[in-house]
Parts: sequence; structure tokens; C-alpha cells
Amino acid sequence: MQKDTKISVYEVVGSPLCVASNDGQKVHDRLAVALKKARRVVLSFHNVSTMTSAFLNAAIGQLYGTFAEEQIRSQLKVEDIEPQDAALLKRVVDTAKLYFQDRQRFDQAVREVMEDDDDDDA
Amino acid sequence: MRFALPQLIRHDYEGFEALTRLYAHAKDYHLENIEIDLERTRWFDADMCAVFGAILYSLGDNLNTVALVNVLPDVERILSKNGFLSHYGKVNIPDSWETAISYQRFDVTDDRFFSGYIETEFIHRNKLPEMSMGLMKKFRESIFEIFSNAVLHSSTRMGIFSCGQLFPKQSKIDFTVADLGVGIRQNVSEYLEDEISAEQAIIWATEKTNTTKEGPVPGGLGLKLLGEFIDLNGGCLQIASDDGYWRRSNKSSSSLALEYPFPGTVVNIEINTADTLSYILSTDWDVDDIF
Repeated sequence: MQKDTKISVYEVVGSPLCVASNDGQKVHDRLAVALKKARRVVLSFHNVSTMTSAFLNAAIGQLYGTFAEEQIRSQLKVEDIEPQDAALLKRVVDTAKLYFQDRQRFDQAVREVMEDDDDDDA
Repeated sequence: MRFALPQLIRHDYEGFEALTRLYAHAKDYHLENIEIDLERTRWFDADMCAVFGAILYSLGDNLNTVALVNVLPDVERILSKNGFLSHYGKVNIPDSWETAISYQRFDVTDDRFFSGYIETEFIHRNKLPEMSMGLMKKFRESIFEIFSNAVLHSSTRMGIFSCGQLFPKQSKIDFTVADLGVGIRQNVSEYLEDEISAEQAIIWATEKTNTTKEGPVPGGLGLKLLGEFIDLNGGCLQIASDDGYWRRSNKSSSSLALEYPFPGTVVNIEINTADTLSYILSTDWDVDDIF
């Protein structure tokens, strides 16, 4: 049985202050590779003192644009996260799901318009 | 050219009006000597240096030479302790009460520099108003949310300006971040493909999970989190952007139009440091159910 892949947010960012979107992107890129390889990932927030929604949106929120919710739920776990930070992460995740639902609706609408245009041209 | 500031520059609607009026009158000057006369100015809220500094920087970007003249001693003391006047030829004076939060300018790529600034001002500081660990953490997060918003949405070339002030006896902290970016009205109007007023745009941006973000990284939480925090804390949140002004306090929002626009966005937060809430939210879900 494969061991879980552990990613330390503190190690990736190099600071207890996880606040910038581009730092979140570094965490995302590692998570995305592991999820694509069907690995189970434990994301550790040990030694992280401060996070923002911008960081978490880039690190985790954008995963919902690439991976199915079920896949993320089954492969990704978090540990050593303070309750206040877990509450923020939950908000980010719930908002990301809504964001990508809307975007799917938007993309669907654009596709329909383009199909109508094609029909008119035909 | 000489422009006079009024008696009071506070972080309120009138304070924003006074500084945006100065900008409106001076913004088209190039290669001029511009004197800002503070002879009548008897009070200047220190955190408004972020707004004042942004405007003066913008005037300097037009190669104007800006000087502050006739600064009264009390105001000079405030603006010297936080380092603001050192940008205009004066020297810093020691902050013996340790209540000043220094004036700084950042580029959008300076997130590490900004983090260091916040660590210095709020974590490694000797004297801070007594406040709970939960509140301190929430306040720091809020400041970073404001800075992140400026980085993500302003598209500013000229930078992000910040300044603050501690009031231990009044149990409050004021902190202001100003950017010289495109402003909320332009971002929201382009996103909605509809020309709306700056007031309406700020209201839209602070409601529900509205966001102008498009692309792979979601958004739409920063301003909402700030508003929720202020509601719990009993503080105040103000936003000025373009010619819109918005304020939230006592769980109620109001907005007004400014006579003259600010060339970017300002977010001002005032927190009540006597607040004893833990800010550890009770949850009906397990950490394994986050996703």
C-alpha cells in the first residue's frame, strides 16, 4: 500500500505567514501533481500562524476547477490546522465550489450562444 | 502652486473629501512646484498618511516637486513619528509612546516586505494594546486580506501605501491601506459589462460572494470576511474608491458619493481592542469534512 504524500505548507512557503496568492500557487502546484498521480495527500499546516483567503484560494480553492469534488475529498486531508484557520479554509472551499459552478454555467451559456451562431450561419 | 488643507483631516467622509479635492486640483500639473499649506490643519489622523502619501506620490509621478509648508507643531509631531514627513525633507522623531505604525509604500510584488512590516509593527512590538490572541490573529489576517485585495485587484503601477496608529487608552487601532490602481468601479463595471456608479460598485463588491475574479483562481471572500469581523468586533470599516465612499459599523452599511474621485482604492479598518471574543468559531462539521 502506498504511503500518503505529506506536504508541509510552512516548508513550501518558507514562512509562518501564508498570505500571498503566489505562495498559495506554489502549494497548489505540488498538490495538483500529487492528485493527478492519484496519491493521497496530507497537507500539514504545522507552524503556520496566519493565512488569508487569497492564499487559500490559490492553494486549494482552484483545485475545484481541475479536479472533481469527490476526488479531492477522497485524496486530500489536512492536519495540524487551528480551528480558526480550518473555519477559513471551509469558507474558501465552499466559495470555490460556488465559483466553479457559476463558471460552468457561464461556459455553458457561452457554448450555447456559439452553437446558436453556428446554426444561424448554417 | 499652493493648496491649503482644512482644519481637520480625520479618517471619515470629510477627510477623504479634503484629500481628494487636493488631488482633483493638482492632478493635471506637470513639472511644477506644488506647496501643500497645512497652516490651518490642527489635526491629522495618522493613518490618513496612507491616503495623503498616495496622492502626493501620484503628483510626484508627474515630476512635480511637492513640499509641505507651515506644518503646525502638533501635526508635525504626528507625521514625523510615523516617518511620513521624512519623505518630504524632515527628519523622523522618536516615537516615545510607541503608538505610531509607520508609513510605508510597497510595490505589488512586495508581499514578503509587507509581511515583515506587519511582523515588526504588530508581532515583535514591545507595546501593544492589551488584546486577546484570537483578536490579534484575526486583526493580522484582516490587514493581509486588505493588502492581498490591493495586490490582486488594483493593477497598480505606482504602489500600495499603508499607515496606522494605536490608541491604547481608547482601546482601538486604526490602519489604512491605499492603492493607486484602477479602482473598484472600473473593475466591477468591466465585469458586469455595465457602467455603474462607484458607490454601487463598492456595495456590489462587499455583498455575498460577488467577485470580479475570472480564471482558475477563485475569489470573492476578502471583503466579506472583513465586514463579518468588524460586525463581531464592533469596529469600523471604510472604503473609498473612485468617487464612492462606503462605511460599515454597528452591523450597518452606508454609502455616499465623493465630490472628487480618489485615484485608486482606500480601505480603512478600525478595531476595538477591548473585544474579548475568542474568534474560534463553533462548527458543526469535522476537519475531515472540509472538502
